[in-house]
Amino acid sequence: MAEKAQARAESESPIHIMPRSTLSTEANKTGSWRYLRPRYEEKTAPCSAACPAGEDIGKIEMLTAQGLFKEAWETILRENPLPGICGRVCFHPCEGACNRGEFDDPIAIHSLERFLADTAERYDLKPLLERLPGRPEKVAIAGAGPAGLAAAWFLTQLGYACDVFEASPEAGGILRWGIPLYRLPLAALQREIAQVEAQGVRIHTGRPVTPDFLNDLETSYHAVYLACGHGRTTALRVSGEESDGVGDGLKFLEKVRNGETPDVKGVSAVIGGGNTAVDVARSIVRLGGEALILYRRRRQDMPAFGDEVQMALDEGVKLQELVAPERIGKDGSRTLVTLRHMRIAGEEGGRGRIEPDGDRTSRIVVDRLFKATGAEAAEGWHNPPASKEALALSHCVLSLRNGRPALAWGGDLANGIKSVAHAIASGKQAAIALDTLFREGPDSILPRLESCTVGNGPSLSMEIHMGGERRLRNRHVVAYGEINTDYFRYAPRMTQPRLVRQERARSFAEIDLRVSGNIAMREAERCFNCGLCNQCDNCHLFCPDMSVIHDQSAQGRHIDYDYCKGCGLCVVECPRNAMTLEEEIR
Amino acid sequence: MDLELTEREFMYPGHVGCPGCGAAIAMRFVLKALGEKMMMVLPACCWSVIAGPYPSTTLKIPVIHSAFETGGAVASGVRAALDMKGDTDTTVVTWAGDGGTFDIGFQALSGAVERNEDFIYVCYDNEAYMNTGIQRSSSTPYGAWTTTTPGKDWKKMRKKNIVEALAAHRIPYAATASISHPEDLVRKVKRAQAVKGSRFLHIFASCPTGWKIPSEMAVKIARMAVQTNIFPLYEVEEGLHYTINYKPKRFPVREYFKIQGRFQHLKDEDLDVIQKMVDEDWELLLRKAGEHA
Repeated sequence: MAEKAQARAESESPIHIMPRSTLSTEANKTGSWRYLRPRYEEKTAPCSAACPAGEDIGKIEMLTAQGLFKEAWETILRENPLPGICGRVCFHPCEGACNRGEFDDPIAIHSLERFLADTAERYDLKPLLERLPGRPEKVAIAGAGPAGLAAAWFLTQLGYACDVFEASPEAGGILRWGIPLYRLPLAALQREIAQVEAQGVRIHTGRPVTPDFLNDLETSYHAVYLACGHGRTTALRVSGEESDGVGDGLKFLEKVRNGETPDVKGVSAVIGGGNTAVDVARSIVRLGGEALILYRRRRQDMPAFGDEVQMALDEGVKLQELVAPERIGKDGSRTLVTLRHMRIAGEEGGRGRIEPDGDRTSRIVVDRLFKATGAEAAEGWHNPPASKEALALSHCVLSLRNGRPALAWGGDLANGIKSVAHAIASGKQAAIALDTLFREGPDSILPRLESCTVGNGPSLSMEIHMGGERRLRNRHVVAYGEINTDYFRYAPRMTQPRLVRQERARSFAEIDLRVSGNIAMREAERCFNCGLCNQCDNCHLFCPDMSVIHDQSAQGRHIDYDYCKGCGLCVVECPRNAMTLEEEIR
Repeated sequence: MDLELTEREFMYPGHVGCPGCGAAIAMRFVLKALGEKMMMVLPACCWSVIAGPYPSTTLKIPVIHSAFETGGAVASGVRAALDMKGDTDTTVVTWAGDGGTFDIGFQALSGAVERNEDFIYVCYDNEAYMNTGIQRSSSTPYGAWTTTTPGKDWKKMRKKNIVEALAAHRIPYAATASISHPEDLVRKVKRAQAVKGSRFLHIFASCPTGWKIPSEMAVKIARMAVQTNIFPLYEVEEGLHYTINYKPKRFPVREYFKIQGRFQHLKDEDLDVIQKMVDEDWELLLRKAGEHA
C-alpha cells in the first residue's frame, strides 16, 4: 500500500510533466496478423537427383567449403562406397544438372569428390558410419566389380553378412581390368576395395560362379546378387572378324592392365565410339603405336566422354567419322578393312541417325584392328530372365521364388546405361530391396524403394532408407529461378590441373593431378547448396519482427509464431530455397 | 553474412509496423550497430506509431517523441543537456522519415548541421508520408502514384537530393545506405558514430504498403534500387570527398518500376525518361567522386 501511494505521489509530482512509456509492446501478439507462414524446409538439389548414386552433393560441398573434409567424405560414403573411383571415372551427370551452370559454370563436382577421397587417403581416415544391428540373413554376391562391391557395402551397413565371389585373381571387375591406369591408378582402386573389406565384406577371388556353384550358394545363402558384368565384346557381325589381325578391345585393355606390353607397332584401327574404344586408342598411343578410331556416327554422337575424346585427339589419336566396317580381309601380313560410308539422316535420342551413304565404300590397310563396339554378358545364363515372375526394377531384376533364396541380377546385366555410377545405383537398389524383402516381405519392396528416391528418382538414398535426416527433405528439386542469386558472385570454375600432352602421351601416369585444399574449398564455396540451409542467418538478419530466434537446435534457430507477421522476407532472402512460405491454417 | 553485430536486440517484438516494413529493418540494424549508449529523438513519422502506443514501447533505448519539424532542434538540445551533465559518450540520434527530413523538418535540420551540432541524423526514406495515408513528399520519386498524386497526376517532379543538400552544409559525414546492403549500412553507422559533429545517414527503407509491393519483396526491391543506380551507395566527407561504395552493373531501371504498384501507370516512354534521369545523376555522382563512366 505504501508503495502504491508513493507511486501515485510520484506520478502526480510536477517533475513528471512528460508521459513515459514503461511497458513493452510484447503484449501485442502480432502473429495473429499472419495469413502466410514461413517454415524451415530443406529441398532437393538437382545434382543429387541427377547422380545415379543419389549422393547428397549440396551437403558434401557445404561441408567441403567449411573445411570439414572427413564429414564431407563420410557423406559421400553413405551413398557411394567408391568416391575415389567415381571422382575419376564417373561421367558426372550431376554437373550437367548443376543450377550454377545457368549462372556461370557448374561446380567441378567430380574433382571435389576425388579431392575428398585423396584427402581421406592422405590422412588414412577411417569412416565413422551408422550401421544397423546384425541380421541373421546372409547374401552371396557374384562379381567384385562396382555393382557387387556396392551391394556388399550397403548390405553390410544394413547388418547382413556378405560373401563376394570373383572369377579373376583380383577384385574390381571393369575397374581393375578395363579402365587404363592413366584414368584410374591401381592404388586408388585398391584403397577403396580394402575399405569395403574393412567393413566386414569377404571377397573370395579366383572363384567364378558357375551354374553348379550357384546351386551350392542357394543352399547356404538367403539371397544371391549376380553382378558378373558385361565382359565379352560384342561381335561386329562382318565377314573376316575372326581373322588373326582382329583383336578384342576389352581383352587388350585387360592385357595392358595385367602389366603386359602388347606389340602395337604401326597403325591400329579401333572400331567403336564409346569409352572402351577411346581407352584402347589412347593405350595404343602410350605403347608407341598409332591409333585410328573408326566410328559409324559423328564425334558429337560418341558415347565416350567429350573430354576424353578431346584428350585422345590431342595425344595424336585419329578419328574417322561416319564409317562402318563391312568386310575384313588380308593384305599380305596386314589387315584390309572395307569401310561402308554412312550419312546422317535425322536425329534419334539426341544423336544422329545414320544410313548408308549410297554405295560409297573405301578400303584401308592397317596393322591390326580392335573391336570395341560394346560388350555383353560372358555367359548367356548371366542375363536376367524376361519372365513376368521376375520383378524388373530400374537398376536390377529380382526373382522371388517361393521357398528358395531370392535371386537378383544387377550391374551391367540389368542396367540400361552401363556406367560405374549406375552399377553403384544397382547395388544400392538391390540392398534396399533385399533388406525390405527380409524384414517386411515382397509386397513392401516397391513402396519402400519409392520412399527412398532422391527428388523424383530413380536415384535412391541409403541414408533415407536407414532413417537419416535426409528423409525430412522435400522431394522438390530446386530450380535455378528459386535461387536468390543476389547472394552469389560470379567466380570461374576451377581448372583441373593435368599432365601436359607431351608428358602423358608416352606414359600411363594419371593425367588428372591432385588439387590443393585451398582450390577445393574455393570451388566448393561456389556451390549454391540448392535447397539446403548453410546457416547464413539471412532469415534472422532481415526479420523486421525479431521473430527468428537463435537456439541450440540443429537448425540453429526457430520462428516465433507469436510475433511473426508472415511477411515472407526470410523466405525470399534465403539464398538457397531452404525455407517455404505456405498458407496459414488456423 | 557476418556483420559482427551484437546478438542483443534493442527492439521488442509486437510492434505495429506493417509486415515486411523496411523502416523496422533499418531501425534494427542501426540500433544493433550503435549499441545501448544512445538516446533517440523521434519526430513524427511512421516510427512514432511503430514505437508503440503509450504506455508501451518497442524500443529498449531512451526515446523522446518530438514534434514533426523539430528533429534537428530537439537533438541539439539533448546533446547540450548531456554535455552539461558531462556525458560525452552517449550518442544522440534523430530518427526521422523523409517527410520530417526533406520537408517539414528541413529548417531545423539545416540549422542544426550549419552549427555542426554533434549528433547523427538518420533519415529512413520510404518516399512518402506513409502512416498518414501515402501522401507525396519531396522525396517521392518522379513517376510515383501517391494519394496526393493520383491517376494521371502522378508525380512529375524529381526526388530531392537530400545528401547533396547536406553535403552543401559541409558537414563532417554524410552517406547513403540501404536495408538491402547490411554490411555497408552497419559499417556506415559505426563510422558515423566515431565522427564528431553533424552526421547524416540517408537509409533507403522500402514500404510494402505505400509502394504496393508484396511484403516478401521489400528487401529485394531495395536491392534493385541500388543495382539499377536509382539509389547509389556512397559517402561524403566534409562535403568534399566522395566515395562510391558499390558500383553496380547498371541494370536497366525498367525491372524496378515494373514490379511496384505505385509505378504501374508508367509507359515505356516514361521509363525511358526516368532511365535518362538516373544515368544523368550517376554521371554527376561519378564526376563528384573524381571518376569517369
